[in-house]
Amino acid sequence: MLPVIAIAKAVSYASSLALMAAGITLIYMCTRTFNFAHATFVTWAFYIVFALVFIAGGNPYMYLPVAFIFVGFLGVLVYLLVIGPLLRRNASPITLMMSTLGVDLVFLSFIQMFADYLTRTYKLYARRIVLETYDFSLLGIPASAVISPIIVVSTIAALHLFLARTKFGTAMRATIENPNLASILGINPNIIYLASWLIGGGLAGLGGALASLSIAGDPTVGNSMVVSMFASSIVGGLYSINGSMLGGLLIGMSEYLGILILSGIVGGWILPYRPVIPLIAMAVTLLVYPKGLAGINWPRLLYRIGVIK
Amino acid sequence: MEIPPIVLYVLVDFSIYLIVTLSLNIEVGYAGLPQFGRVLAVLTGALVASAIPGRILAAIYGYPYGVEYSSYEYNYKVVDAINRVLESNPALSVGIFILTLIIAMIAGAFIGYLTSRPAIRLKEAYLGITLLAMGETLMLISYYYQPLMGGTTGVLVPDPFRWAGGLRFIVATFTLLTFAILILIFVELLTKSPFGRVLRAMRDSELAIAVYGRDIAKIRTCALMVGASIASLAGALNAFYTGSAIATTYTRVTWTFWPWAFMMLGGTGNNIGVTLGVLVFVIVKTIIVTYRGALAPFVPFDPVWLEYTFVGLAIVLIAIFRPQGILPEKPIFTLPRRKLEEFLGRR
Repeated sequence: MLPVIAIAKAVSYASSLALMAAGITLIYMCTRTFNFAHATFVTWAFYIVFALVFIAGGNPYMYLPVAFIFVGFLGVLVYLLVIGPLLRRNASPITLMMSTLGVDLVFLSFIQMFADYLTRTYKLYARRIVLETYDFSLLGIPASAVISPIIVVSTIAALHLFLARTKFGTAMRATIENPNLASILGINPNIIYLASWLIGGGLAGLGGALASLSIAGDPTVGNSMVVSMFASSIVGGLYSINGSMLGGLLIGMSEYLGILILSGIVGGWILPYRPVIPLIAMAVTLLVYPKGLAGINWPRLLYRIGVIK
Repeated sequence: MEIPPIVLYVLVDFSIYLIVTLSLNIEVGYAGLPQFGRVLAVLTGALVASAIPGRILAAIYGYPYGVEYSSYEYNYKVVDAINRVLESNPALSVGIFILTLIIAMIAGAFIGYLTSRPAIRLKEAYLGITLLAMGETLMLISYYYQPLMGGTTGVLVPDPFRWAGGLRFIVATFTLLTFAILILIFVELLTKSPFGRVLRAMRDSELAIAVYGRDIAKIRTCALMVGASIASLAGALNAFYTGSAIATTYTRVTWTFWPWAFMMLGGTGNNIGVTLGVLVFVIVKTIIVTYRGALAPFVPFDPVWLEYTFVGLAIVLIAIFRPQGILPEKPIFTLPRRKLEEFLGRR
């Protein structure tokens, strides 16, 4: 049987992945951009929490809102400086994707410089961040395994309320569905797109800050996670925020626990191949059922397999 | 004749990246495929160069050539012995060099065929992410599976230029440059051929080319196979030049995004433009590498990161301000009427 601590870690990792994937999906739905800069958004969240914990003191959980706002602001910056001008020129999705890769490289270099700065000015070892020790224990398991799912559920609830019950949320859904029609009705798509980058970036920040409690970080931690994030988003169907959250939980859990179970069966040599699991999940989804989890008719499926009558 | 090392450095970087970027240009600039997994084919070539020639020679001369060839305990001894053999035998060196390049190109074409399976089903960004994921997977496998590239310790690659003695680097550099120029001529001829025109037509309108009875799946497969086989050649050349290989140097940043940046700067869909783009980038990169030491006392970080800032900024600025690059793709003009009449009259 798997140890409880491994399951707890898997839960908190999968929850943070769900939040990051939700950000990718929101940005893709609104601006048709596969945001590769999500990788460094997540890394920035790691470093903001790290720097604040070591310089200002306190607990990593205190700085979750700071990570949300800071990375959301980065998202706004990317939209205003890069994606907005490109969208106004009707750039192709490939150009949009490539330009976010460029942004990612620039941010990556800034993170490396920031890490150097922390090392030289504050004498911190900023090349390997371990914040796990700052987590407290709750009911015998790390608190992040309890708090992270709560944050995921409340994010789903908040986003649902925002999109379904507020006027701005309705405008956002209208713009996603048909930007031209929405702009005829007096909705400014630029503001909607800006908001999507703010929220999407913020979710990446929140996810990254939570992930810093379950995995160790270095300046390329986001880049090593970005494929998992895209896999979650694609498995979720790419056109549904709830689907991407579900995809994130699924990918995160199967990545973390699946490899442990497999190593028990075939031996420890398989452990380093962990990143292959999300890749296979993504490839299978794309080739077999591109609509993803959100495209499944759940009531009918449950009826068919006999769960509900 | 004395050639300053920095010139050789620029020429080597230029040659390798020119081959990779030209192969990317066939797939992206002409065929319109979002090739975000260039590293896959480059790595294939490097894998061939690090796993096959050494094993062949080890088998001939009675050294261990099985799994233990690439383990760090044996590898440096075996390759050292092989290099001493190659040093005294230029014909064998050249033979094994050419043989490896041929195997690398065949392996690259095979990898290209594999990548074409998702490529005929998926489109645009989905395809881009799938190709990127395939590259990552091969990188992981070659980093953790020791018999290919020595895993986490890397391997030494037999040196086919050893016979040149003190002129080794000059001979190697000019060999690479020759290959780069040959590939440039080949790609230029290929893209001007009927095949190149079919690729452009497919990029501009798949529907139109399907109406004219062309099989899109077949054209895409061809483009990916040719591109991957050329990129694989570059990977093998790079491994031979550096004399060693480790999977961590074949990242998506250096072998996918940099070539994209070079191509976008020079002009997507224009081989001469791409050549210019690679040249400009390589020179600027070398300037940064050379003078970053002088900058170090003035900034609170390691100036090595400025290279990333520069490439990233270049990608973004080109995408926004000059998407067509330095030398834009030229439209194909039909022959002037007088010439056409002459041509028809002669018939």
